[in-house]
Amino acid sequence: MKLLKIGISGVRGIVGESITPRLVMDFAGAFGTYINSKPVLLARDTRISGPMLQAACTSALLSTGCAVLDLGVCPTPILQLLVKPLKAMGGISITAGHNDIKWNALTFISRDGTYLNSFQGAEVLDIYHLGKFKKVATDRLGRVKAAEKAVDAYFEKLGAFINAEAVAEARFKVVIDACNGAGAKFIGRLAGLLGFELIPINHEPNGFFPHDPEPRPRNAQQVVSIIKAVGADVGFLLNSDVSRVSIVTETGESLSEEFTFPLVAHDLLEDDCGPVVTNLSTSRMIEDVARSRNCPLIRTKVGQSYAIQTLLQENGVMAGEGSGGVALAKFQPAFDGFLTMAVILEAMARRGKKISQLVKELPRYHIVKEKIYCPPTKIHSVVNEVKKFFRGHEMDTSDGIRVEDKQGWVLVRTSGTEPMIRVIVEDSAKDRARQRADEVIHFINLIIK
Amino acid sequence: MKKISSLKISISGVRGIIGESLTPQLAAAFAQAFGTYIGGGPVIVGQDARPSGTMLKQAVISGLLAVGCQPVDVGICPIPSFLFLTKESKSSGGIAVTASHNPKEWNGMKFISRDGLYLTPHQTEEFLDIYHQGEFYFVEPERYKGLKTESNPAEPHLKKLLSYFDVDRIRGKKFKVAVDCSNGAGAVLAPRLLEALGCEPIFIHCLPDGAFAHDPEPLPENIVEICRTVREGKADVGFVQDADADRLAVVSEKGELLGEESTLALAAQYVLGKTPGPVVCNLSTTQAIDDIAGRFGAPVVRTKIGEINVVERILAMEPRPAIGGEGNGGVIVPDIHPCRDSFAAMCVILEYMAASGKRVSALQKSLPQYFMIKEKVSGSAEQAYRLINLLRKKYEGKGRIELLDGLKVRMNDHWIHVRPSNTEPIIRVIAEAKSREKAKAAIRRLKREISALQRKI
Repeated sequence: MKLLKIGISGVRGIVGESITPRLVMDFAGAFGTYINSKPVLLARDTRISGPMLQAACTSALLSTGCAVLDLGVCPTPILQLLVKPLKAMGGISITAGHNDIKWNALTFISRDGTYLNSFQGAEVLDIYHLGKFKKVATDRLGRVKAAEKAVDAYFEKLGAFINAEAVAEARFKVVIDACNGAGAKFIGRLAGLLGFELIPINHEPNGFFPHDPEPRPRNAQQVVSIIKAVGADVGFLLNSDVSRVSIVTETGESLSEEFTFPLVAHDLLEDDCGPVVTNLSTSRMIEDVARSRNCPLIRTKVGQSYAIQTLLQENGVMAGEGSGGVALAKFQPAFDGFLTMAVILEAMARRGKKISQLVKELPRYHIVKEKIYCPPTKIHSVVNEVKKFFRGHEMDTSDGIRVEDKQGWVLVRTSGTEPMIRVIVEDSAKDRARQRADEVIHFINLIIK
Repeated sequence: MKKISSLKISISGVRGIIGESLTPQLAAAFAQAFGTYIGGGPVIVGQDARPSGTMLKQAVISGLLAVGCQPVDVGICPIPSFLFLTKESKSSGGIAVTASHNPKEWNGMKFISRDGLYLTPHQTEEFLDIYHQGEFYFVEPERYKGLKTESNPAEPHLKKLLSYFDVDRIRGKKFKVAVDCSNGAGAVLAPRLLEALGCEPIFIHCLPDGAFAHDPEPLPENIVEICRTVREGKADVGFVQDADADRLAVVSEKGELLGEESTLALAAQYVLGKTPGPVVCNLSTTQAIDDIAGRFGAPVVRTKIGEINVVERILAMEPRPAIGGEGNGGVIVPDIHPCRDSFAAMCVILEYMAASGKRVSALQKSLPQYFMIKEKVSGSAEQAYRLINLLRKKYEGKGRIELLDGLKVRMNDHWIHVRPSNTEPIIRVIAEAKSREKAKAAIRRLKREISALQRKI
């Protein structure tokens, strides 16, 4: 079985199996047809397969008459912010975010700099399935223009958004593990902008991932091992396209990626109240934070596209996911790791508190996240069967099955990116979380067998 | 008549029309097949100056990376320099994105073996089998090779040219040379070569931007401007390169185009004077070659049309011939590299001028005088095949018939040749005679016969 995941805002698969030049060209050709011969921004993370996908995208976009504004190795949030100032009509980011090196993916960005919404995505997919891509004659082919310098505009905007002076005065020492991803190329600029002392780990943008590029405690050992020794104030882990961040405290505690969004929300909602958007599988922490700040919380299906669309529709102030992605409506409607780091540093500086102290202000829950392999052909029917397990409870089925009670909640859903069933359990008591997770997993395994 | 397909897959590679048949998907599939065929390793990837070059080259790079090859992007590069580099750099092969002399809306790919030669017909067959089976050797990302770029790809070729020819002798003459690069890949090397040869160059159409100032085929109608440039600039000689710089046409100091058949004739006359030996050329090359070779007691070996056929014959001969080529301005100096090379042709002619002390018009006069007319009629390969069978019956007994490639008939005072093009859906029609009138008469008659037969087909 070849793994290929086609979602509303892109396509993801294993290079050499499902991700081939042909597939990439067909998708990029469909996107170029949808964009209709206008300029498209193109960027990639550092994955070794990146140049293959980039060449395929470039060729296909040019053939549909789209000019390619080439950002080279560049994180997705930077591309997203640059779509408007560069007068592009869309973008393609070549990145598989947190997936391991075997994977790669195309993420389609709209003219607004957001992930495609479900209507836009459906239009691109229709063109893809129809297989009829726009083909222009020689004289109307697109051209490639180098656009790497445009990245300056991103950092200028970030510098204007953050109180950089306050951060600089705090003279922070910050450890950042960019996992040799696209962020590695730019963390030095962030340090320069905000005037902190950077202690970089895995900062060669060469695509060799020393651990999975997924910001979470499991991958934080390197940061944890040095953070006290170097006397750093905070540590950050990035995924390969800097859309997610997880945090390590100055005491060497590796925080669950669930903490990132509530930390930002807890700080910013104080002065800027409004709707907060998160997905169904994110920790209850954000509910408590929003409630304490008197802000409404809206839950959506899992995926950046859904969260951001809701953020825009509901005129929200921020959106975020338990995976470590945070977007602020006032900056840009995109999960943005640079912004996330900057906002957290600013909160530390403004409040004069250590990161461990800021974390203490948050409620603590215990979350268990497990994934179970399931053949893609029967994955949805298996999840459907799980309803039997929850018989008698009220179920939210907008994305998988979610059951909630006073103590916590359970979510069983198919992964958007892999042939996996995700089981997420959160509870105020650690043992109960583990026990409920084990029960659900046991039930699912019985169905699969 | 049914619509003629705009995709040509032949021993000359793949050619098609951008926006119609030649898509990124197709180019990537051929690159994957080629990478699978050569089994990985570095592959030189270049382009001529056509605006569609980048689009196709990116597709080729993508395909090569996916099957574990390491593409070495040399950008816009003259094809003889490209072939030379492929061999010199010990690469596994090369893919040149070019449609040679086809009109601007065309582009294509030529596939090159590790020896720096176009794939032979047998190799092409093996490679196309892989393409058609569609089973490509995709590798895991861990085994990907990075993309490399080479910014000075013509350097090894230039060095070789300068070590082979009598540079001092040419430099001593301080020739004034007008060059029309057709805004093609030749512009990458021509200025540096002429500077090294101590020439005072006048360039026209020397921006390799693919905005071909005229049709890239160096035919008389495209050549008015260079002739004027030679006259007004009082140049000793004028040169016109085709878009990928494998072919060369020569203009005399009087501003008269010599006709593309003269390039090889001039080169052969000079080279055979220094190094006697056989000459290899294709069937439709001028009869003048036979006369020149005859003067030196040298044999002429004729091959099917297609550069690789000439090259294969050259490589099969021992000792290796000193000169070969095609009447279309394609001169091969095998000691440099067995491929058509407009730069080597320039060097030969400049050295001839220097060594003989004669002007180009005088050298031209010393050649056996023939007049060739090349025309084309539209028609697919299949129509050409039927046509040739019918024509053959018509010419039975009227002259010596050769069927090596299409139909060639050598009659008392002229010859004719009819064959399908390898690169475009057209039928080439050629006649040569001792006088312009006879050649014209022959081509008129032949075309009349063809159109009568085409109505029957």
